[in-house]
Amino acid sequence: MKLRINGELREICAAWRDEPLLFVLREHLGLVGTKFGCGVGICGACTVIIDGIAQRSCITATEDVTASEIRTIEGLADNNGNLHPVQQAWLDEAVPQCGYCQAGQIMAAAALLATNPQPSDQDIDDAMSDNLCRCGTYQRIRKAIKRASEAAT
Amino acid sequence: MKRRTFLKGGLAAGLVVALPACSLIPVTPKRPQPTAEAAMGWVSCADGQYQLILPRIEIGQNIATAIKQIACEELGIEWDELSLDFHSTATIDQVKSTVGSESIKDFAVPLAQACATLRDAIAAGRSTGEIGLVERPLSDLRIFAAAPRYIGRRPPLEQGQDIVRGQSLYAADIRRENMIYGRVLRAPVSPELPSQPVRWDMDAARAVPGFVDIVDDPSLKQAQSKGLGILAKTPSTLDRIADALNVQWDIDGTFEQHDIDNAVDIERRLNSGRLANTIQSDSIEDDSRWDVDLRFDIPLGAHGPIEPRAAVAEFDQSGALTVWAGVQDVFFVRDTIARALSLDSRDVDVKSRRVGGAFGGKTMCTVELEAALLARAAGHPVKVQWTRAQEYRQGFHRPPSSHRIRATLKEDRLDSWWHGFASSHILFSNAVLPEWMQQITDFIGDPGVARGADMPYRAKNRRTEFDLVRIPVFTGPWRGLGAGPNMLAIESAIDECAIKTNADPVAFRRSHIEDPRLADVLNSVAEISNWQGAKPTEDTPTYQGRGVACGIYKETSYAAVVADVSISRDGNIQVTHLWCAHDCGHIINPDQVRAQCEGNLVWGLGMVLSDQLPVENARVAAETFADAPIPRLEDVSPMTIELISNRLPPTGAGETAIVAASGAIANAVRNATGVRPTRFPIDPKELVRSQA
Repeated sequence: MKLRINGELREICAAWRDEPLLFVLREHLGLVGTKFGCGVGICGACTVIIDGIAQRSCITATEDVTASEIRTIEGLADNNGNLHPVQQAWLDEAVPQCGYCQAGQIMAAAALLATNPQPSDQDIDDAMSDNLCRCGTYQRIRKAIKRASEAAT
Repeated sequence: MKRRTFLKGGLAAGLVVALPACSLIPVTPKRPQPTAEAAMGWVSCADGQYQLILPRIEIGQNIATAIKQIACEELGIEWDELSLDFHSTATIDQVKSTVGSESIKDFAVPLAQACATLRDAIAAGRSTGEIGLVERPLSDLRIFAAAPRYIGRRPPLEQGQDIVRGQSLYAADIRRENMIYGRVLRAPVSPELPSQPVRWDMDAARAVPGFVDIVDDPSLKQAQSKGLGILAKTPSTLDRIADALNVQWDIDGTFEQHDIDNAVDIERRLNSGRLANTIQSDSIEDDSRWDVDLRFDIPLGAHGPIEPRAAVAEFDQSGALTVWAGVQDVFFVRDTIARALSLDSRDVDVKSRRVGGAFGGKTMCTVELEAALLARAAGHPVKVQWTRAQEYRQGFHRPPSSHRIRATLKEDRLDSWWHGFASSHILFSNAVLPEWMQQITDFIGDPGVARGADMPYRAKNRRTEFDLVRIPVFTGPWRGLGAGPNMLAIESAIDECAIKTNADPVAFRRSHIEDPRLADVLNSVAEISNWQGAKPTEDTPTYQGRGVACGIYKETSYAAVVADVSISRDGNIQVTHLWCAHDCGHIINPDQVRAQCEGNLVWGLGMVLSDQLPVENARVAAETFADAPIPRLEDVSPMTIELISNRLPPTGAGETAIVAASGAIANAVRNATGVRPTRFPIDPKELVRSQA
């Protein structure tokens, strides 16, 4: 079994094929930026982009995504290591407090901007309200998405 | 090889505290006050590169950034000349837990003194060896200088790049060679009830692909809960093993929600005699004719960090143990593990990792001990991360509290104020102390429960008292400890006093405030919110309202908040704007103080609108965020923060605004609907019913 992750084909050992995508990423492949938060797809800490859509990797069966393009937080910067506009905006707005949910937030925001480069306030609320942050960084998340949106236009 | 030159402060002589031989007495956290001598052990210089070992845990206040600002300022160096490492129990002398918003208040000056000493030693030509502290007057420290280079600015967040690039930062991100995964299964009841596994299907478990072993070790005990360890080659195999084992449990006792409610019911406590602990002690006639007489109930609440606690434990060939932990006190974890595994504490190294949200909830040793015991049994490194359901069932929570506040008014002024409340424990938590030890601590009360209850407004007579009640669910520190719930009750009642006297809520508070710094934040928030009285807007499809509250945190930090709310006819409350004025003395990093204010405002919103934990069948019944919701992005309004800038000693910002946020929102709801919220979180249906 192989998965295409961040543009690379990665071999998945037999022992890991029954694991949800989240644990394959984190524990088998060492892509630990994607986080375990709830295990049932509620909190969004495990958000990755699968075929352009923000998805919950904790409830994604690995065998279901063998034909997909999977993008994780580690693959968001370009090949030269330059940050994606969303990552840069997150730093410019100093969004992270504890930081644990932020990879999921950033992936959800990147997926939003890829399909909707100039989201309205309501678009942002609709796209981001299922990604939980207990530190309460929501105001900065909104600002960072606006900033990234402006940077891209 | 280039010879390393090394200049370092002498390590402070460590205070060796012998653990009592009696293992009945639990290990308790030690809280050495940081000194400049100790700080000499945190900072060093080799070959022109400076190193700082962070004496705090990074739990999301971006304290690493602020501490680095202090060090760079005092050392007079470029930002990139200083590398910052998180501490482990092996790299610095014991420091106290990262709790109580103390990291700037207590650590800034000692660190600055140490850095100034190092700077002067280097300027004098020293490049190797240990140097002794040369303490100087505060006015000579650069962190208090008129034109600082780093203080008051906004440098890049330490670890910011790693966070947005998804690099390994947290305990659960650790991966070790031959590492396996563990979990300790426990009876589905509160660990306060005696429980143990009695039967399980070993053959079925063995048949699960990826099964490694079962660990039946009496040390796998959390309070009264004896657990059964399981080990697997992959994380979700643990779920399959748990299902296959089908463990039968022996459980002693039960309780329900009403047992918790009754235990802290303030009416029952008042009817059964005087409350045991006194905070403000004026005598008040209890047959007074009360102008305001209100009862408030605030339930169990979860911390709800997005990171369920996790640890990785690994023994080396000599029998020494390394634990990677996301806790607020790695020394407490070390001591607890050393005791439980009969190890010399020098053979246990607990490494602090960035914590994915703590809020007071990661102060005890749980998953770390489980990982250590499982690693010892397995002969492999073991990673344990609690499930979300374990977080609720086995963690501790904000205690439920029940308040009655009675006040009399005379000539439009507060005359008598009587606040009685009951709560379960916070600092002397039942998660750590068995009942007999807790009863001893009850003689001195629980300062965590008392926090924020000393009413900050003038009255002729003030009486504040409380009862402590052990309940069968674990309770303990939760952001701000008692201050959040106590101030919510106080600010609600004060608001009602203002309404009774037909006074403007800001003016009423202003005329009763004793502390000028509290008056300053109140005036400031009134100004930035363009306060013109709390008048509900009528003739709209929604009820509109505005509320104010203010408060003091730990006698040192001040906040005032104004909230605007919009409430639909079916009782759905939307906060539409929050303003906050905040005074924490001399500010190291204004942007991150603002960030803490923003976070606290969201916590205040959660207190009023969502925080609660249902109890059922002898346990916290919540298993996911769906059962214990936390505020979401769409719930959160724009926020405007005003920081009071002054040169007073730096205090704390991590929990300050919570003292005013919930009260302001509750008062805005009162203003919009005419209904005084008294049960939290507010139930929209109850709100509509009360209006009718």
